[in-house]
Amino acid sequence: MPAPFVLTRGTWPHRLLLLAIAALAVLALLWASGLAQFRVSQLTSVFIYAIAISGLNLATGYTGLLSIGHSAFFGLGAYTTGVLVMRYNWDPLATIAPAVALCFAVGFLIGLPALRIRGLYLALVTLAVGVAFPELVRRFSSLTGGARGLVIRRRLLNPPPWSGFGPGERTQWLFWLSAVTLGAVLLLVHLLVRSRAGLAMVATRDNEIAAAASGVRVATVKTSVFGLSGAVTGLAGCLFAMYLAALSPDGSFTLLKSIEFITGLVIGGAATRLGPVVGAFAVVYIPYLTSSLNPSNVSQGQLSGVLFGVVLILIIFLMPDGVVGGLSRLSGRLVQLRPARVNTPTPPAPEENNHEASPLPGGRDDRDLTARGVQ
Amino acid sequence: MSLLLDRLFDGITNGCVYAIMALALVIVFRGSGTINFAQGELALFTTYIAWWLTTLGAPIWAGLVVSAVAGLVLGAGIERTLIRPVRRRNDMAVLIVCLGLFTALNALAGLLWNSETKVMPSIFPNGLDDYVAIGGARLYFDGLGVWLVVLVVVALMFLLFNRTRLGLHMRAVANAPESAALSGVRTGRVLMFGWAVSAAIGAVAGVLVTPLSPQQLGLQTMFPILIYASAAALFGGLDSPIGAVVGGLVLGVLQQLIMGYVGFIGDTLPQTAALTIIVAVLVVRPTGLFGTRQLERV
Repeated sequence: MPAPFVLTRGTWPHRLLLLAIAALAVLALLWASGLAQFRVSQLTSVFIYAIAISGLNLATGYTGLLSIGHSAFFGLGAYTTGVLVMRYNWDPLATIAPAVALCFAVGFLIGLPALRIRGLYLALVTLAVGVAFPELVRRFSSLTGGARGLVIRRRLLNPPPWSGFGPGERTQWLFWLSAVTLGAVLLLVHLLVRSRAGLAMVATRDNEIAAAASGVRVATVKTSVFGLSGAVTGLAGCLFAMYLAALSPDGSFTLLKSIEFITGLVIGGAATRLGPVVGAFAVVYIPYLTSSLNPSNVSQGQLSGVLFGVVLILIIFLMPDGVVGGLSRLSGRLVQLRPARVNTPTPPAPEENNHEASPLPGGRDDRDLTARGVQ
Repeated sequence: MSLLLDRLFDGITNGCVYAIMALALVIVFRGSGTINFAQGELALFTTYIAWWLTTLGAPIWAGLVVSAVAGLVLGAGIERTLIRPVRRRNDMAVLIVCLGLFTALNALAGLLWNSETKVMPSIFPNGLDDYVAIGGARLYFDGLGVWLVVLVVVALMFLLFNRTRLGLHMRAVANAPESAALSGVRTGRVLMFGWAVSAAIGAVAGVLVTPLSPQQLGLQTMFPILIYASAAALFGGLDSPIGAVVGGLVLGVLQQLIMGYVGFIGDTLPQTAALTIIVAVLVVRPTGLFGTRQLERV
């Protein structure tokens, strides 16, 4: 076997490679935006899922806090946007800030029991949140529309004039809005994970006691990560509200949505930076592609459910680190990234959905962090 | 008074179902170290088998026996082929395999027997007049039947754990798998047996409970039960069979009482309220009521 090609972080070849990947991603987006409206819309939902799963990745992947309540953050973001737009005549984009702030606050509060409760017991706390959300939506029906749901008038969701999109181009506008947001979220996660805070997160995940003994403030890490994670998933919820324009407590915000997020995260690869994107493609496209295989309409969705479960189990057997984890291990044989010797500024993160080509060895890199964090 | 008794009876019936499912979860957890997310759907699948047999003309008790046997076989098969290969890797992998089974089994039941709701015959007389009056409250026979069966299952499990060689091996594996293996316990077989027993318990619970539930037998029947059984198991302490039974009963009764007496949240937020109380208890006792604390050496 030939020796792998060694790249040093922060050198010109490395930067050029990243630039090329970013350019490829932008080109792919441009190409995708010209597809049929239905396809563009489908890709938009992939981006929204990817943002939501990135949020989950912060808590579950990097910090090891298993959450089965992220459907609640998704719903909280969506309903904040929906309620502010319909009841208080806010501009949809302006609702993002309060929604994200609210989700952060709620996430922080949920993080508080995590100071005492661990592992599967902590999952029960998040489970309670996931169960509570649809019930609360039904309870406060004067605000949320209750079980009947909340419909946002399409007219209110038209693109703003400054965006350059006409009133009829809502699909295109949301496609680009979601794509740019996803890019920003991925960049944020990348920077966070490579920072001191990221080290603290991974150390907390790998051995809490050792982390605390080495000076990591475990309590602060857990609560803020829960808040941040909830905020990112809530952000996805905002976009989802604009995308779907019709919210109902039993439709998209039940525990089954949380399970979908976890599934996506595992398929893509937990604690990898691009795993959520791959996972989002999987959870949107596997059901879609397999449902067209169904010969009859009687059991629609059932065959896809069976295949989905089988794929999930196969992935655990064949690629335990998820698709991105497995691919980065393969690509690690061809190209090796070596950290720069002195502290150079962090190179720009790759943009958007360039998962196939990315040589960034997420999993491998994280293991380095672990070793350094917990000595 | 009679209203209170009515609510208590309903609560105990629900609680019995949570308790028995929580017990199944605990048995798997003690061996495999994870919550078996597929427990509910395994029960659903075997219940469908029982229902299918009754449509072919078999009596329901035969359906119960066959579905329990199917549970034994399915549980053992799943442990041997899907869980054991990934168990050594980490707990997360087992959890994900369970999630995959959860999705696949549910969809498979829908694929084989379509997604329409089925009417499940009851083993016990369940007419409107089949009740005994106690203090003015009505205790229906089908509810009473569930109590009795759960009592028998729990008693059998305690005999198994505490009075048999196999039970001793199960406790040994739960306590210290490596030491148990070194002392000659065949760890793999014990774990396989644990999965088989818990799947069979789930099958019994499924056949008993579906005639009681208003939705009858549908693809969504077992998911809420699994959720509350998990909550009950965690509340009682994941590694404690007694905890599972106590947790299940408390959760069932608590839900009914909140629904009945706490007006402003009761009719709309029973689940939320019950789970909130459990979380509050967990904050005080982070490993549940009867769970053992894990000591960690760094």
